Amino acid sequence: MSSHEPDLEALNARVSAARAETEARGETFYQGPSRVHLAMFPPKERWDDWVEYDSRAWPRKVEKRFMLVPTTCFNCEAACGLLAYVDRDSLQVRKFEGNPEAPGSRGRNCAKGPATINQVTDPDRILHPLKRAGERGGGRWERVSWDEVLDDLAARLRKALVEERRDEITYHVGRPGELGFTEDVLAAWGVDGHNSHTNVCSSGARAGFQFWCGQDRPSPDHANAEVILLISSHLEAGHYFNPHAQRIMEGKEKGAKLIVMDVRLSNTATHATHWLAPWPGSEAAICLAIANHLIATGAYNREFVRRWWNWEEYLRAEHPEREPSFEVFEEVLATLYAEYTFDFAAAESGVDADTLAAVAETVAGAGTRLSTHNWRSAAAGNEGGWQVARTLFLLNALLGAVAVPGGFYPNGWNLLSPKTPVNPDPPAVWNELHLPLEYPLAMYELSFLLPHLLAEGRGRIDTYFTRVYNPVWTNPDGFSWIEALTDEEKVGCHVALTPTWNETAYFADYVLPMGHASERHDIVSYEQYDGQWIGFRQPVLRAARERLGETVTDTRQTNPGEVWEENEFWIELSWRIDPDGALGIRRHFEAPDRPGEKMTVDDYYGWVFAHGVPGLPEAAAAEGLSPLAYMRRYGGFEVTKGVGEIHEEVVGDAELEDVAVSDLGRVYSRAPKPDVSYSTGAAPDPDDQGRRAAGVEIDGVVRRGFPTPSGKLEFYSSTLVDWGWAEYALPTYIRSHVHPDHLEEGEVPLISTFRLPVQIHTRSSNAKWLDELAHTNPLWIHPSHARRLDLATGDLVRVETHAGHYVVKAWVTEGIRPGVVACSHHMGRWKPHGETQGQRETGPRMQTSDVTLEHDANRWGLTGRSEHGAFRSADADTTRIWWSDIGVHQNMTFPVHPDPISGQHCWHQAVRIRKAEPTDAYGDVVADTEKMRAIYREWLAKTRSADLVSPSGERRPHWLKRPLRPQRQAWTLPTDPREPSGRP
Amino acid sequence: MTELLRALAAFAEEPGTGHEQLARSLQLPGTPDAAAFTEVFVFNLYPYASVYLGAEGQLGGEARDRVAGFFRAVGAVPPPEPDHLATLLVAYAQLGTDADADEAGPRGHAARTLLHEHLLPWLPLYLARITELASAPYAEWGLLLGRVLLSEACRFGEPPRLPLHLRAAPPPDLRTDDLDGFVDTLLAPARSGMVLTGSDLVRAARDLRLGLRIGERRFVLRALLSQQPPATLEWLAAHTVTTSRAWCSWAAALPGTAAWWTGRAEHTNVQLRELAKEAGAQPHDHTREPIVVPRP
Repeated sequence: MSSHEPDLEALNARVSAARAETEARGETFYQGPSRVHLAMFPPKERWDDWVEYDSRAWPRKVEKRFMLVPTTCFNCEAACGLLAYVDRDSLQVRKFEGNPEAPGSRGRNCAKGPATINQVTDPDRILHPLKRAGERGGGRWERVSWDEVLDDLAARLRKALVEERRDEITYHVGRPGELGFTEDVLAAWGVDGHNSHTNVCSSGARAGFQFWCGQDRPSPDHANAEVILLISSHLEAGHYFNPHAQRIMEGKEKGAKLIVMDVRLSNTATHATHWLAPWPGSEAAICLAIANHLIATGAYNREFVRRWWNWEEYLRAEHPEREPSFEVFEEVLATLYAEYTFDFAAAESGVDADTLAAVAETVAGAGTRLSTHNWRSAAAGNEGGWQVARTLFLLNALLGAVAVPGGFYPNGWNLLSPKTPVNPDPPAVWNELHLPLEYPLAMYELSFLLPHLLAEGRGRIDTYFTRVYNPVWTNPDGFSWIEALTDEEKVGCHVALTPTWNETAYFADYVLPMGHASERHDIVSYEQYDGQWIGFRQPVLRAARERLGETVTDTRQTNPGEVWEENEFWIELSWRIDPDGALGIRRHFEAPDRPGEKMTVDDYYGWVFAHGVPGLPEAAAAEGLSPLAYMRRYGGFEVTKGVGEIHEEVVGDAELEDVAVSDLGRVYSRAPKPDVSYSTGAAPDPDDQGRRAAGVEIDGVVRRGFPTPSGKLEFYSSTLVDWGWAEYALPTYIRSHVHPDHLEEGEVPLISTFRLPVQIHTRSSNAKWLDELAHTNPLWIHPSHARRLDLATGDLVRVETHAGHYVVKAWVTEGIRPGVVACSHHMGRWKPHGETQGQRETGPRMQTSDVTLEHDANRWGLTGRSEHGAFRSADADTTRIWWSDIGVHQNMTFPVHPDPISGQHCWHQAVRIRKAEPTDAYGDVVADTEKMRAIYREWLAKTRSADLVSPSGERRPHWLKRPLRPQRQAWTLPTDPREPSGRP
Repeated sequence: MTELLRALAAFAEEPGTGHEQLARSLQLPGTPDAAAFTEVFVFNLYPYASVYLGAEGQLGGEARDRVAGFFRAVGAVPPPEPDHLATLLVAYAQLGTDADADEAGPRGHAARTLLHEHLLPWLPLYLARITELASAPYAEWGLLLGRVLLSEACRFGEPPRLPLHLRAAPPPDLRTDDLDGFVDTLLAPARSGMVLTGSDLVRAARDLRLGLRIGERRFVLRALLSQQPPATLEWLAAHTVTTSRAWCSWAAALPGTAAWWTGRAEHTNVQLRELAKEAGAQPHDHTREPIVVPRP
């Protein structure tokens, strides 16, 4: 030891002071990597001038200087934070990495985030507004100015509004990627014009969760779970995949057991403690067998069930002769699922009973730390799939693993719902093209039935906007979409808002270029852990120029070509629809603090961040920034962590005014709804005196409860009973349309719902790095199955659905259940021969084949595919494409299968598999739209229409969620309803 | 002491922007650069507990698993390299912060466990070697960190049982016909009781005027032994004194641990001297020219 002996306490104080002083300046004291916090990011105070060596100059050390500007990924819905590296010399984005300030993704990204740079520099992207030249779908385009587009559209829309043709305006969105700005635009126009993609995605799961708890999706706390139960391939794909996957791995590192139900040996399944590959559609039977085990062994959380289930309502309705006590309910409960033995579930699923028993024991051991997740997968594949999510939640409800660490949080509580300056009244109309009477309980619009509804003459569309939406490719029955979109009587004007070409845009009148993740404004907030956060998507070059002191008034000034963003587009369009304010539209888009002046995006987001995000103004002020400047600088803000058990909150006296309590304990009050930052769900109906449902009485205390009619978790759904589905009042098992009993001789189920881990529908196909990683979609088939058909890997297979067929290559693998085949829907992009995509020459494009679009009466086909391979373009990498197989577009051969309750398209198909015929070519797709219509009518006949079953004279239970909720009077059933087609 | 520990931990990481300010606040003589970092932490004194406490003297293995187990036991996710010096120091600083309010509570217990089980069993020797081998900023850093840890050791006292790493260390035995096994034992501090770095072996070659084969330590040591076995064995025996020197100032605070290490080093010393004698050791002629072995 040296003779120099410092005073350690004094030295400690000195370092503490230095740290405090540094952090007070908003800078980072401990820069660089930290092994404990895994922080490996540029310190934020250096984001204005970050230096890295130019990798291309190696071995010379040439410094490159960057501005790091945050934005939010727009490839999947997870909305992970990105940091754009903007070259200070050229003011071009050079790369994207993770944003450590994003609370959901915490600086981590999947491959799709960094691949945003491919989309920005994509040589095939659309840079200017285009208008079709010649017939719709003819493949010829002319460049037009934004002014011309805006004036034309504004005139059409104004005319439709003035003539009260409000149902003829539709905005059809795939990935919203924002928090309701566009819904506010539609409400300001007074149209019920929102149509979503939800019914080809998550309606089934949403219905299962909504009927239970009034919130329609899970926010599982994987990181703190003892047992994680996934009915999906959620670790590699799916909603919130990256934020959830990193938390699932955290849970596993802490010792959590992972149970995965998936027909395929997905990457997720390879991480599982228990991988179950059940027969498709039998998942609910397994969940009920586990539930039966929990009940029979007394392993359920008796006190939670007693306090929070609506068991009393159930007993009164279904067993009025018995005393409505909890003990009686337990007696009944013990019998309700007794038939769901492990042997029964084994017979249904093909998974042996011993394995199921072991899984049930594992679940029982979780206590309240059971996190579960189901979103697409089985819930989206099967008729009755909504009961998969409902029976899955039953396990959480039995164990009390609800809104507690390691459990299942209702999504709304972890979702920030900020106030905005645009607050139009809800529309006063109900668009039956979106929510027809036959589907009163559907979780959102029956979007994929639109061509059939139009064909039946249920309405027409004057102006049809599609945005981040490619129904011709994504939806089932794509040829019927082409029939609808090419019929100008049905669709007057189709406007495709899209950054890149897609199969739907070919059939547009206008193709309008919109920005990628780094070229647009949006705010996002998603339920990814028990906390609330908000993220900001912004045009990074605009933000960079503003940092340099420039003033930017229009995002087009900094975007490539004439690429715009929707928000500025909608504001400008709204002003042109209502230039003098006579329609009452313009006023919604005036600057909040400058009446009469047009609102800018800075006005809008500045207002939201200053008034709608608790804690943000204070955090910004601490750094000497405005809330907007804070979000432009950091891109994300965590509002709160540990939201916890909202349902247990005691409702204070201030909220209890002129109280009435129902005989089941629902508490109603005349006091106004409290101001909260989370999403409360759709409000349950008031009592007959107009009092608001304010809480529920539990053991004599008024608690917040759940946003359900009863205020409790609804094991028993009076909604389903009242709306004609009494047989499904309780969580139960519905045999799928691909159950063995429902298959004809020689048919097998085809699983088509799974994603490829690095791709995201059609949005990512212009990302060359992702295409190199994953570019084809062979048919998974088990060796035993392949042997019977004399198939080897690479052989051409004809897959016949009930309305068409496609030709694909076989992949013989033990990673799938024997007797089931699977094909991802991500591949097989195409464009018709002759489609110019707005360029002078038709020619090869990235990850796209040219095809002949054959049409003969009802028979349609994609044939004559061009070879895919290397080609010359503005990007030298296209000369390096080494793969030729880009997969097959299978969805066009799928008829629609709308679930009669949830409205979910039930994706699984009953198919016949055989060797391709000599005349078949790889990639051939053939379908018959008349057969498609017949199958649509078969499924429509399963419905129970609102005009027959509605107990309230309304179209839909008011407490169920619905995008862009119209005013209450619009919910009333029409006095002379159209005869619904196919009604029994 | 928590902030001091955090700041000191940062110096076990590669130097970058921010180290200058840290060095200033710690009153270190200058800021280390990347070359100095590489010389100390990459080439000579690997900053991982498993290297010094594991039976193999290598990264990972059971020693690292034990450290990871500690993180799990306190409800944390084990970091990717749980036994890295920076990780351990920051974790101790964090637990110390929590424990300040309740030293007798579970967090205080966890902090003391981390200190006694995973920091103090190896750092006195490790830091002594740093101060001996490194240049100014790192040598001073090693001294300072040693003082902080000694202060913590004095504050809590030594538990009655030796740390598990030491209890589990296999007994040293250099009497083997297997040269690889012999070399492995010498290079595993937990078995030989000494830390033998690349720099040490360079010095040995110079002292003994032997040819230095460039390579990793096993290769170098085998080359030395093949040239002059008795002299090399004598030199190695003498090197064990570095251990007893290192533990001198810790004997009062950690008598058990210090005795364990010095005992193990002495045992090695005795065995090496016996082996040298058996090999017919003669006093080495320092006037001889070194044997220069051409590099392949």
